[in-house]
Amino acid sequence: MSRALTLLALAVLFVLPVAVLVLQAAAPGWRYPDLVPADLSWSGLAQTLRHPAPMLTALASSLGYSLATVLATVAMTMAPARFLAHASFRGKHLLEGLLLTPALVPAMTYSMGLHFVFIRLGLADNVTGVVLVLSIAGYPYMLRSLTTACVHIGRDYRTCALNLGASPWRAFLQVELPLLLPALAAGGSVVFLVAFSEYFLVFLIGGGTVPSFTGYLFPVITSSNRGLGALVTLIFLAVPVALFLTLEVLLGGYFRRRGMR
Amino acid sequence: MARPLLPLLLPFAGIFAAGLCLTLCQSLGLFLPLGSTGPTPEHYATVLGSAAMQRSFLFTLYVSLVSALGSVTLGTGLGYMVWKLPARLRQTAVVYKVGLILPHVAVAFLVLLYFGQTGLLASLLHRLGLAPTPQDFPQVLYAGDGLGMILAYMFKGTPFAMLMTLAVLFGFDTRLLQTAAMLGAGRFHAFRRVTLPRLLPAMHSAFIILFLYAFGAFDIPFLLGESRPGMLAMRVYDIYFRKDLTERPQAMAILALMFAFTALFTMLYNALARRVDDRGRKL
Repeated sequence: MSRALTLLALAVLFVLPVAVLVLQAAAPGWRYPDLVPADLSWSGLAQTLRHPAPMLTALASSLGYSLATVLATVAMTMAPARFLAHASFRGKHLLEGLLLTPALVPAMTYSMGLHFVFIRLGLADNVTGVVLVLSIAGYPYMLRSLTTACVHIGRDYRTCALNLGASPWRAFLQVELPLLLPALAAGGSVVFLVAFSEYFLVFLIGGGTVPSFTGYLFPVITSSNRGLGALVTLIFLAVPVALFLTLEVLLGGYFRRRGMR
Repeated sequence: MARPLLPLLLPFAGIFAAGLCLTLCQSLGLFLPLGSTGPTPEHYATVLGSAAMQRSFLFTLYVSLVSALGSVTLGTGLGYMVWKLPARLRQTAVVYKVGLILPHVAVAFLVLLYFGQTGLLASLLHRLGLAPTPQDFPQVLYAGDGLGMILAYMFKGTPFAMLMTLAVLFGFDTRLLQTAAMLGAGRFHAFRRVTLPRLLPAMHSAFIILFLYAFGAFDIPFLLGESRPGMLAMRVYDIYFRKDLTERPQAMAILALMFAFTALFTMLYNALARRVDDRGRKL
């Protein structure tokens, strides 16, 4: 009984909306007062997709700056995470807490102050500025993930590699980095989602010249084109799921080859 | 010693902290696009003295508190129920990640699709004969009580709270529950005294994160918010983009006050949560 209730709750909350979106995308003419689409044919979808260029541009731009943001947060947090995991100094907890604040503080509070300076520095209205500000919003998740993993792994593997004559660089690349891959994947997934879902920061710092998929959806929502809205929402679901699945398959294959699992 | 920290400390100071400082400076009338006029506290006086602004603050507080509380309650309950499922059924629960992946913009679209005056629920009530016309459908969105925004935040927040509680539950030693049962505890009693105290830290974190997000976010209020009283983020947006440049310091003053409030709220909440949890643990 309670089992059925759990599954029913999950289905109503999370499966039904997706089903509704699929139906709405396939039947753009579906609206009040029909409880189910009167005319279900894929021609409606073809109609919606007649001019795919703006949508694809927005999607490609969002994918591009989101992946760049993931790389930027790795570059920002790799050395600090390894340091924070093993060092002990006064005020360490305070520093760690402070470094996580960008994830908690409303993004508006710092980005609007920056806006004016970014314009002066030529960082507004271009991808560099967008990636910079998105990296600030996203890096705490990467830092948290990597620091936890570094604590968990410990320093012994590295010490072993160094004792066996590996250079510090080689010990990092061939010993530490493979062990950190799951944490990189986890942190990277969250950072990607943060960047890919963000509307306001891209709109403010990108100033309309950096297209975003969220920005593409915004006017569609308030328009009467429900079919297009549903399609874009489904893509919002499909792209991260496809990325995460690919990542999992790639990581699984890598670990099997190296015999680490 | 701090050299490994530099790749992080530089952007933290140069972008994040600098951005906060600039917001603060501009709220005091300094470094404005039209030149400095300060420092002056007058913009704070204007903002704090405005009755409309006070209503916006209370409204924002209400929407974020209700949505965060609702998400944590529902998410913890669902997480607990999923954990109780047999292992083979647990796999199906991954569907909850739909709510984690969809951005707020897309969730706003779903809320409109479901709860709009000509939405799915209206169609359902029409079919059942309970609301023959769209006008008969009880207004859920833009009714002035923030319900549309609360629904959207809860759709995003519930899976997040599930994620946090499930992470604890999957690492939970079930022998504790068996011991409690052997000592005569009923299911409810065991939940309250054994499971719940272990879930509380995760629930507190989820609450704080969801509350702070809803308090300061822009997307949902822009798409689902009513214009009066209006969420604080919308006030800031209106002043910054739609009004005269001379009023811009007011937008910055609201942001600075929002920042101060979030910091204060987090500290007070953590202190309070620690005290309440400690009292529970003495038993």
